[in-house]
Amino acid sequence: MAHHTMEEDLNIAPPPQAQNLTSSMVTKKWPFLVTKGRFQLLRNFRANLQKVIFGTKLAVLFPAVPLAVVADFYSLGRPWIFALSLLGLTPLAERVSFLTEQIAYYTGPTVGGLLNATCGNATEMIISLLALYQNKVNVVKFSLLGSILSNLLLVLGSSLLCGGLANLRKEQLYDRKQADVNSLLLLLGLLCHLLPLMFRYALAGEYASIATSTLQLSRASSIVMLIAYAAYIFFQLKTHRQIFDAQEEDESEDGEKAVIGFWSAFTWLVGMTLIISLLSEYIVATIEAASDSWGISISFISIILLPIVGNAAEHAGSIIFAFKNKLDISLGVAMGSATQISMFVVPLSVVVAWTMGIEMDLDFKLLETGCLALTIIVTAFTLQDGTSHYMKGLVLFLCYIIISACFFVQKTPLIDDA
Amino acid sequence: MGSHETEPWLLENGNPKVLTREMRHGRTAHSRSSMSLRKKSDRTLVQKIRCALLRDLLSNVQEVILGTKLSILIPAVPLAIAAEIYGLARPWVFILSLLGLTPLAERVSFITEQVAFYTGPTVGGLLNATCGNVTELIIAIFALSSNKIAVVKYSLLGSILSNLLLVLGTSLLCGGIANRGVEKKYDRRQADVNSLMLLLGLLCYLLPMLFNYSAASPALTADPSLYLSRASSIVMLIAYFAYIVFQLWTHRELFEAEDEDEDGNKDSEEQAVIGLWSGIAWLVGMTVFIALLSEYVVDTIEDASDSWGLSVSFLSIILLPIVGNAAEHAGAIIFAFKNKLDITLGVALGSATQIAMFVVPLCVTVAWIMGVKMDLNFNLLETGSVALAIIVTGFTLQDGTYHYMKGLVLLLCYVVIGACFFVQRTPLNQADVTNFTLKPATNAVLGA
Repeated sequence: MAHHTMEEDLNIAPPPQAQNLTSSMVTKKWPFLVTKGRFQLLRNFRANLQKVIFGTKLAVLFPAVPLAVVADFYSLGRPWIFALSLLGLTPLAERVSFLTEQIAYYTGPTVGGLLNATCGNATEMIISLLALYQNKVNVVKFSLLGSILSNLLLVLGSSLLCGGLANLRKEQLYDRKQADVNSLLLLLGLLCHLLPLMFRYALAGEYASIATSTLQLSRASSIVMLIAYAAYIFFQLKTHRQIFDAQEEDESEDGEKAVIGFWSAFTWLVGMTLIISLLSEYIVATIEAASDSWGISISFISIILLPIVGNAAEHAGSIIFAFKNKLDISLGVAMGSATQISMFVVPLSVVVAWTMGIEMDLDFKLLETGCLALTIIVTAFTLQDGTSHYMKGLVLFLCYIIISACFFVQKTPLIDDA
Repeated sequence: MGSHETEPWLLENGNPKVLTREMRHGRTAHSRSSMSLRKKSDRTLVQKIRCALLRDLLSNVQEVILGTKLSILIPAVPLAIAAEIYGLARPWVFILSLLGLTPLAERVSFITEQVAFYTGPTVGGLLNATCGNVTELIIAIFALSSNKIAVVKYSLLGSILSNLLLVLGTSLLCGGIANRGVEKKYDRRQADVNSLMLLLGLLCYLLPMLFNYSAASPALTADPSLYLSRASSIVMLIAYFAYIVFQLWTHRELFEAEDEDEDGNKDSEEQAVIGLWSGIAWLVGMTVFIALLSEYVVDTIEDASDSWGLSVSFLSIILLPIVGNAAEHAGAIIFAFKNKLDITLGVALGSATQIAMFVVPLCVTVAWIMGVKMDLNFNLLETGSVALAIIVTGFTLQDGTYHYMKGLVLLLCYVVIGACFFVQRTPLNQADVTNFTLKPATNAVLGA
């Protein structure tokens, strides 16, 4: 287990989890705000503002946030609201993960890890809950599925491809145990999705109320998946920590200290979550209008567009780490995120729907479940030998292209849609 | 090793062609495998002829036509043509054409290898990567032009199954039994890359099929499925191109067959035995014959099926590929006996990858150009068989060792799939064959 020497001196910072490191990679210093300013309070506030708002290359997209609010207020074209909200979500999602990482410095490694585990996909969770509230169950299912596909194929594929091309003559190794655990959990999730689907096909006509049985099965499976995820957290943060620690011998240009105070980080986190909720509500409300106006199916927007935007920051960080031949971190980001969504966000949505009285089950329809099954199999197969080269990344990436093409041409009505 | 004075045609291009060390490393598994069927030609009879030109010509002919153990099947070629011209029974034309295709396919790979001596290892590898399965390609194109899309799909699918299960299974079985007690290893990285490409191909075949089943009515999905298939074909060709770059340029060392210990006492020499231009001439001629016999095969397949009581799908999936792959099959087994499994894997997996990721999308593209509506929907039973074949093979080959049990399991998988298509007698004349047992369930779900 590698420990940074500064960390031992300070004794407060946890060994960075993979997702924290990614966030710090896209952080940039924008120093121009700090120097002038007479009052101590104002200077502190400006320093705080600089670190939080402008501390990332993605800050260029921040103007989309007020623009989206304005567009909704003045009822400009609904597709515009959709597009602006999408763009505004990208930097917000990245900042939330940065703030979570800062808070983790104060709360210690375990709670920090837990926080990271739950807040890592805050955008997806909020979009799902809001869509559930508006009873758009299909949007929930497809956006979560698309997020899994995007993490496993797009993020992982482009990272392995770029890493392979950049390190053509070097040997690229990673520890396969981490990938193995994640693959195993994803296969469990796949089983939980497959059974309601096959249930519906196999017993059609024999039961009067297939829907109720499928629903009960889905709800029971969701509880099992949450138990499995809790065990995975325990495994990752307590007993088998050494498998998941990222390699960190020679990097981290910014120190191992938090850069903003605990309460200010907390405040910023609450504020940003509120804004994310607002933009997510716009997205969920305007998705049909955007789909009609642009001529693309809702399933394509939910499965392909939303996750690409939501994962943009993680994506960039993952590619950067692959360039540096630190594949363990890239894998930790991509597969960890996929596992989190599959085993935590999806069952959580089913449970929340249960309490709301909405009938959401785990049956993600034939085409989508087929894509998911093949994705998990291809990814598990790719990662099970512990080495990498650019062909692996290219194949994963091309799989994603084909799946996108599939949902792009799918404009026909499905068997039953909300 | 013949001396240069009696073989003047070798000096055709000004310098005798001898394999240098790096060229030897460039020999692909495919070419080395087909070498195992070569015979050393006996030149004593030809030397007695006085006239130099006639002697050269006859030596050339002897080398090409008689240079393989499969030459006994060559008479089937003129017999098939005679049968067609004189209007003999169609099943006879079918079987004679099939028998004639076997040695022709092997000779084409031999001539390609000879040409590769002159052009260098990379172009040789490229030639092999594109023309390695020329028989399947020509049969497929003829079937497309006769609008027999089902025959195209099933013959190509059967070729993939045959390479993955039959060739590999028998090789592992024979190699495992012959080398009991010896450590049996191979480099798994080559197998990994091939399995990955096959999984990408599987995704491309699976999606149009699921598309078809997921929609409310199949008529609605015909066009989108076609667009998806055509887009997937382009993606597959891009992937195959990248695979060739990977195999022949950047990661060449993964695919080299080792040959440290068999240089001295090989019975076939490392020289080209025919000149470049004669090689090209032979190649063109043989391709013309292959095209002719393939046309006979495609025309007479229904008659043979009716006459023998076997379904067209069985003939396309099982019989055609066994015949087309016979030479590769024999070579693969021979190398497995010698515990050189890297070469066997290169042949079997490489051929399967080539068909899945090059020949199939090429056919879809050619069909697109011709205006024929061929998509990648291979129907449930066939796609299921291929899916499981790819998964089983990928799983089998992922630890780098082998034993006879692995070979036996793969072989028995092939027998089961063969039995499945043997008992399936549904008519194949319509454009899409639906699996009848699934339909009632789907209809019930639609109504529910």
